[in-house]
Amino acid sequence: MTPLPDTLLEAVASAAVREGLADAIFTRLKTPIGRLLVVQGPNGIARIGFEEEAEDALLAGVAAELGPRVVASDRELAATRDTLSAYLEGEGDTLELPVDLRFVHAPFRREVLETLHDTVRRGEVVTYGTLAERSGRPRAFRAAATACARNPVPLVVPCHRVVPTGGGIGNYGGGAARKRALLELEGVL
Amino acid sequence: MTVNAPALPPFWSLVEAHGDELLAHARRVAGPEHAEDVLQDAFLRALRAYPRLRHAEHLRAWLYRVTTTAAIDAHRSRPREQPVAELPAVGVEDDHDPGGEFEALIAPLPETAREPLRLRFVEDLDYDHIAGRLGCSPQAARQRVSTAVRTLRERHAA
Repeated sequence: MTPLPDTLLEAVASAAVREGLADAIFTRLKTPIGRLLVVQGPNGIARIGFEEEAEDALLAGVAAELGPRVVASDRELAATRDTLSAYLEGEGDTLELPVDLRFVHAPFRREVLETLHDTVRRGEVVTYGTLAERSGRPRAFRAAATACARNPVPLVVPCHRVVPTGGGIGNYGGGAARKRALLELEGVL
Repeated sequence: MTVNAPALPPFWSLVEAHGDELLAHARRVAGPEHAEDVLQDAFLRALRAYPRLRHAEHLRAWLYRVTTTAAIDAHRSRPREQPVAELPAVGVEDDHDPGGEFEALIAPLPETAREPLRLRFVEDLDYDHIAGRLGCSPQAARQRVSTAVRTLRERHAA
């Protein structure tokens, strides 16, 4: 059986986007920290999955949250791909991408991730306590840690820049080794 | 999404799971030269209808039906001056059960509708020859094919 040509799939996806038929667009991207699955929602990047995360489950979650008309397109997400690739290959200084936090339902967790996205730049780190404080609840450092642990858009919302007060680099949803690699890339370690 | 909406899988999972066989199906019902255009149109039709589906079952069979309908519509809209390109190649490349899918598709219709469809789409006859086989005028033959296609489309859209 002849496989479906990529050009046909791209044409379908582009037409779908043009007609407003796509609830979400995703792309698979090879990077130095492994394959990423990147999902764009109506307002920005809504989900990023590392390669250990099962793709079926991730996309089923996207369908449940954003709607079932999920399409893949490298072309429609070309700018996002370029930005992420440049950043992860050490060529881009900042990772400025619009983010859509609709996967985060708890208001305080959303506040934490917005604060993190808006205030912690490349080359900086903050503690969970500082992040909680900046988000308006100084004593809620555990909730801030939970928000980071469940961050649906790692990299773009830089939870790898949040470290424990007691020292060390702490945990990471994508694994401690990946957190270390990212902090090295950013010149922190 | 409303409370009663079925949990539909991400559309692209269906495309990636069934795309290759749907392309083969499009080749059978539309001919190799039109297969990719027909399948592209079919995917977009499916995407438009997808959120309105009332259940999440038999999605593969549904995509086959959408592809067949797209092939029939493409065939009808093609200019008549392209005698070779206009003829669908149902069964031509098939290595098993040629026309079987077509028969299954038209099975719900009465024989008065099935016969004109077979003559037109399986036997590739023009309207003069269909008229000869049905014992009516070419104009009436065209009318019967047209009515049968419309009935088929309405049935599969329902």
